[in-house]
Amino acid sequence: MVSVNFISPITNTCKAAYNKLPSIVVAKDSVINGVAHIGQKWTSPHQRAILGITAIVMQPFLDWHNKKVDEKTRKVSVARTCAKIIAGTLTGVALRYGFIKGIKAMSTPLAKVPKNASNFKQKMMTCLTPSEWDQKDMKALEQYQFAMGTMWSLVAMMFTNFLIDAPLTKFLTNKFIAIQHKMDQKGENKV
Amino acid sequence: MIPPMKWFSKSYVFEKFSKNPANMLVVTGVLGWVLSSAAQIFAIAINDKISPKEKMFLIPQEIADAVVNCVSFYTVTSGVKYIGKKLTNTAKLRTDAVSKLLKDRGLILEKGAERVKNKAYAGDWNFDITKLPDYESKIESVYKPFNNGAEVIASLVGSIISSNLITPIFRNHYAAKKQKELMSYNKKNTQQNLTPFQQKVSFADYQKLIYSRPKSGNLKV
Repeated sequence: MVSVNFISPITNTCKAAYNKLPSIVVAKDSVINGVAHIGQKWTSPHQRAILGITAIVMQPFLDWHNKKVDEKTRKVSVARTCAKIIAGTLTGVALRYGFIKGIKAMSTPLAKVPKNASNFKQKMMTCLTPSEWDQKDMKALEQYQFAMGTMWSLVAMMFTNFLIDAPLTKFLTNKFIAIQHKMDQKGENKV
Repeated sequence: MIPPMKWFSKSYVFEKFSKNPANMLVVTGVLGWVLSSAAQIFAIAINDKISPKEKMFLIPQEIADAVVNCVSFYTVTSGVKYIGKKLTNTAKLRTDAVSKLLKDRGLILEKGAERVKNKAYAGDWNFDITKLPDYESKIESVYKPFNNGAEVIASLVGSIISSNLITPIFRNHYAAKKQKELMSYNKKNTQQNLTPFQQKVSFADYQKLIYSRPKSGNLKV
């Protein structure tokens, strides 16, 4: 049986095109250190905060220009989107940050546990320290703490979605709609 | 398939994420969407104000919305992260220090120099810096911090594109379609006993319907 490979010429062309692209050499120390700092220190609270900031810039704009729905719906949609972004970002960042702090406190390296601490306190401070950790690579431990904190914060968010996000979103939506009404009365809110 | 409780075990988290922070951002991002969607579906299922007939319509709608959100987040974020990783892995994007190390090993094709057949140079698709024999001993410490940072930035860019551009555009398109369906459903159920003027669905009625739902759109965790 004769098989014809259509994929191979395409991938070869892509690879050749990639090879032809010029390489980028980053020489500026400030850029190199900045990128390395992001890789080491930025984690889920930063990601959530950046997503929130970019969301508040982009999403209301998309809702405002959604011509498939009428003007009133668009205005409510913008208010709800802004409210959801603010509520979600505030709770998301705070919970992730809090849980990472908590996990850090419970995964202290053995060498950093005070010698005079009670047995209970010592156990609490090391109960989440991974046994696989070689006691030297602090960067690996830090990344583990970020990941574990983020994962537990996600579980907590299953509840805070109902307890904090939903009522806060409703409250903020009503506030924003009230502001829109005031602007409408003054004639400043034309789509 | 790894059992869900193992996801939270110390060994699993350490092994999976301690060396690669960008992986964690993608996985927890998708997990966030899944948990958020599960909460939304649960909220509909236990809401007494929503009739069983409406639940039959809303729950599949939520599942479809969740699947699109998760797929878009995972594919776009992973895709952009892959591009970032490929650029640093092949040394197409590299620092000055890495450039010097590669130059010493004759792995940079100088301008005008002849290419040795079947040899992969820095910046080639088939070049992989992590496969070099002295990678762990001499290159990793110079290469890894920049590579991790580039991957995290690529993940962030991917998640911004998927969460703040693709998902809202799809959601708005879908919501507009659903609004029309909801209005025609409302009209069908009420028009028999109404005057022609009353048959039109007012915006206040639409708002009431929308607010009877636990959410209208995506609630991010």
